[in-house]
Amino acid sequence: MTSREELAERLSFLARIAAREADLLQFTTERLFKDQPALNAALVSQWTQNNLIAEQLDAFVARFGRLQDTLGDKLMPNLLELLGEKRGAAVDNLDKAERLGWIESTDAWLLSRQLRNQMIHEYIEDPEVLADALNQGRAQVKMLTWAAEQMLSEVAKRLN
Amino acid sequence: MRITEDQAEKIRQLTQEIFGSEAELKVFGSRLDDQLKGGDLDLLVKSLTPLAEPARKSALLGARVSRLFQGRKVDVLLIAPNLKYLPIHRIAEKQGEAL
Repeated sequence: MTSREELAERLSFLARIAAREADLLQFTTERLFKDQPALNAALVSQWTQNNLIAEQLDAFVARFGRLQDTLGDKLMPNLLELLGEKRGAAVDNLDKAERLGWIESTDAWLLSRQLRNQMIHEYIEDPEVLADALNQGRAQVKMLTWAAEQMLSEVAKRLN
Repeated sequence: MRITEDQAEKIRQLTQEIFGSEAELKVFGSRLDDQLKGGDLDLLVKSLTPLAEPARKSALLGARVSRLFQGRKVDVLLIAPNLKYLPIHRIAEKQGEAL
């Protein structure tokens, strides 16, 4: 197999994973936040005491993080390689992805990476901070799944 | 402290943009040790007024400063009247140096 074929195979594998991860994230987001107005500290405290909801919270955060990692650390650099771009630092890749219309903006992407750690209920001891982090995370799901759609359609276009 | 004056000035500017001009800024953790190279950057921001959207604000400052340091990991800890004051805040306040 030529390296180009290998790259194409890797990309189609990563595209399948990203599509699945985006679906799972949307499913958990819908289940956890359905009909729910913005969260506040009191409600988040109740949620973390409830094992069943805490489990869904874990799923939300894990799926959010996995999709972001697959897109940003795997799919994006491989797709840039397919386009003949030199491998660069993560921030440079994000800037290129922004120019190509794959992500909304580098700043928004970096912001949502920073938010991830604050969504982990086991070690964010302040429900005020956790509630805000989850509200922000919920609002960013659209941005992530939109980026997935853009990159998946780029993969489909390039591989066909 | 292994932060250049130019970097410090930019961090101060970003902090003011996000938290207002009254916010106090300190750096703590491994960056204070001149013997260590690289490492994460830990910032402490203290606000005398309650902070809305604390997670977004600390993530925003972390993201902007991280960009300034070529993607290095940056953690931002907040002290504000509406937030819990935990042991980590006490340590950071005690150990931190004003930037």
